[in-house]
Amino acid sequence: MAQAAHTLNPSKPLGHGHSVKRHTGLMDWITTVDHKKIAILYLIAGGLFFGIGGFEAILIRIQLIKPMNSFLDAQTFNELITMHGTTMIFLGVMPVIFALMNAVIPLQIGARDVAFPFLNALGFWTFLFGGILLNLSWVMGGAPDAGWTAYTPLSTSTYSTTHGVDFYTIGLQIAGLGTLIGGINFLATIITMRAPGMSFMRMPMFAWTTFITSAIILFAFPAITVGLVLLTFDRIIGANFFEVGAGGNPILWQHIFWIFGHPEVYILILPAFGIISEVIPTFARKRLFGYSSMVFATILIAFLGFMVWAHHMFTTGLGPVANALFSVSTMLIAVPTGIKIFNWLLTMWGGQVRFTTPNLFAVGFIPTFTMGGVTGVMLASAPADFQFHDTYFVVAHFHYVIVGGLVLGLFAGLHYWWPKMFGRMLSEKLGKWTFWTFILGFHLTFFVQHFLGLMGMQRRVFTYLPNQHFDVLNLVSTIGAFLMGVGMIIFLTNIFLTSRKPADAAADPWEDGRTLEWSIPSPPPEYNFKQTPLVRGIDAFWKEKTAGHTEMTPAEPVGSIHMPSATMLPFLMSVGIFIAGLGFMFSRDEFKSDFVGFMFNNYLVTAIGLLITFGSMLMRSLFDDQGWHIEPEELEGEQI
Amino acid sequence: MTTDQHSPEGGIKHRHRHEGPQRHIVVFIFSIVLTLIAFAAVAAGGVNATFAVIILLVMAVLQVILQMGFWMHLKDKGHLLPIIFMLGGFFIAGTCIVMSLYWVWWD
Repeated sequence: MAQAAHTLNPSKPLGHGHSVKRHTGLMDWITTVDHKKIAILYLIAGGLFFGIGGFEAILIRIQLIKPMNSFLDAQTFNELITMHGTTMIFLGVMPVIFALMNAVIPLQIGARDVAFPFLNALGFWTFLFGGILLNLSWVMGGAPDAGWTAYTPLSTSTYSTTHGVDFYTIGLQIAGLGTLIGGINFLATIITMRAPGMSFMRMPMFAWTTFITSAIILFAFPAITVGLVLLTFDRIIGANFFEVGAGGNPILWQHIFWIFGHPEVYILILPAFGIISEVIPTFARKRLFGYSSMVFATILIAFLGFMVWAHHMFTTGLGPVANALFSVSTMLIAVPTGIKIFNWLLTMWGGQVRFTTPNLFAVGFIPTFTMGGVTGVMLASAPADFQFHDTYFVVAHFHYVIVGGLVLGLFAGLHYWWPKMFGRMLSEKLGKWTFWTFILGFHLTFFVQHFLGLMGMQRRVFTYLPNQHFDVLNLVSTIGAFLMGVGMIIFLTNIFLTSRKPADAAADPWEDGRTLEWSIPSPPPEYNFKQTPLVRGIDAFWKEKTAGHTEMTPAEPVGSIHMPSATMLPFLMSVGIFIAGLGFMFSRDEFKSDFVGFMFNNYLVTAIGLLITFGSMLMRSLFDDQGWHIEPEELEGEQI
Repeated sequence: MTTDQHSPEGGIKHRHRHEGPQRHIVVFIFSIVLTLIAFAAVAAGGVNATFAVIILLVMAVLQVILQMGFWMHLKDKGHLLPIIFMLGGFFIAGTCIVMSLYWVWWD
């Protein structure tokens, strides 16, 4: 809490502002605890995994381009679909969401950093090492192949004999730790660190959805944590939670997975709702229509999201009563979601709408996401679901909500906040090309998949016979996938070309910024706010603008600013967990070398890893880190 | 790094009113009595098993309420968010327990 706690305390020694050790180059990035730099790290790592997941998608679509294709064999195909789903959700879009949250939330609520900067770094590094561990499976004996849901008994050691699923359980466990840490951090940040005057009902919508998303993370991730532990124990040390023969129950995994898995899809989509709720009012030059109903709808979606998990299991055989109840609860979610859709439409109604790149993505989001919502209500009807289940109709549905919803939202957010993060405006021309190629490619890929599903094409099949009316639609779908790839390449080109230009973006580059992040320079200085701003209403910066001011009213005099110290420990802790995970995974294997076998089979590798982690934690506990201060003299003369 | 105000708002107006030790002593005695009742229900031997379990659960719930309310300060002002989040946690954990008992094992 780098707030003004120490600023006005004359008894505190303020002199150690210059003694702080500044790292440069790679060390700076490894040791940073600055939320703005961690945001960039999340963006790079998430973008990398997103690229891997996208490449896997392209391979899948090449295999399905024509009937009886032999581009991939069945095993590789299974590995690709599993890794595509897992990578995209856990390692691709979630880190990009966290990138935007980290970059924007402290600025939007007028804070100088998140509540726990150290934990913020720890969350990033555990996510990264979990993701690396999962992807190491490609070169260490085969990737997981039981689908991203890893349903038992297919994922138990009886049917999945390679280490693939172990990489899944251990990798996701470590990455999930990072997500949980991040979620808790944002909860604490938003509850405790809002600027003076910013009550909950004056928070920007993105801050609200981040808050609710973090709450869902807090409640949903423990379920998957427990599930992964049980599956790991089953597979590595011979427990029997899911082994029917020994009294276990494979259905238990489905329940645990979806108790987590359904809230997870709201973890994905709510931040996108928040981004859209920021972009649309900005470019309509109107305040968000129905702000309080938006807040209410967000909370309601989060609440309902926890009691619909069994709609993924209609065909499991839960019986008509359970199916009927879960049908109704699922359809209920359409109500708050509908509220949001209409609020966005009514925000644009009568506004001075400017179709900049972020707004194009936001406006494209609305009908696309609505289509995904409509097929969602169709799937919620249990009798119909018996027909749709495990067909391409489901694939089309969830790609409409995840790609057509979340990814369009992320594109909107990235184009919108890019100048704030990097001080450079992305090219509008290339941005519009990105939008049109991506959204056309998207609809081309997935719209036809509805019909493939309705005609009976099963999901997760690695090939199909000719003359079942699948041929043409699959070809269209593959062409669309390539078009989406072109959109991504244009986006990367845009980033590359922009990075070569001078960083000269204005503080408020879209000129109609409404929230606090636009009241400070782009990119913001290390301490974000020279003086904590006073918030006098919803859309705080816009309110000052309408009162004729060009900057926020400060809530405190200029004073020395307390900053957290950079540290290597989060990185080391994550390396330790990574080593421990690998050691545990291979603890039952036979090795050619006696020494290596000795190290692994006696859990010595695991012990070394845990020693590094707990040693780092001990260091953190024993050596007090008081942080450092930026003095008022250093602040003077800066453009704020 | 941390401010030491003990409320979610971080404001001075929510600072705890100073209380004497009497109330805490009473609550402490209550906690001990609840524990003794639970022990006695089992140690006496005459109580039938189902009834003993019910007594244990009731004593446990009362104990949790006392501990949370008084020792974890949930009864004090400025603890609305912790209460909401804890109830949320109970709700979801309860859902999981009901699911595993009624759908998976007893089905």
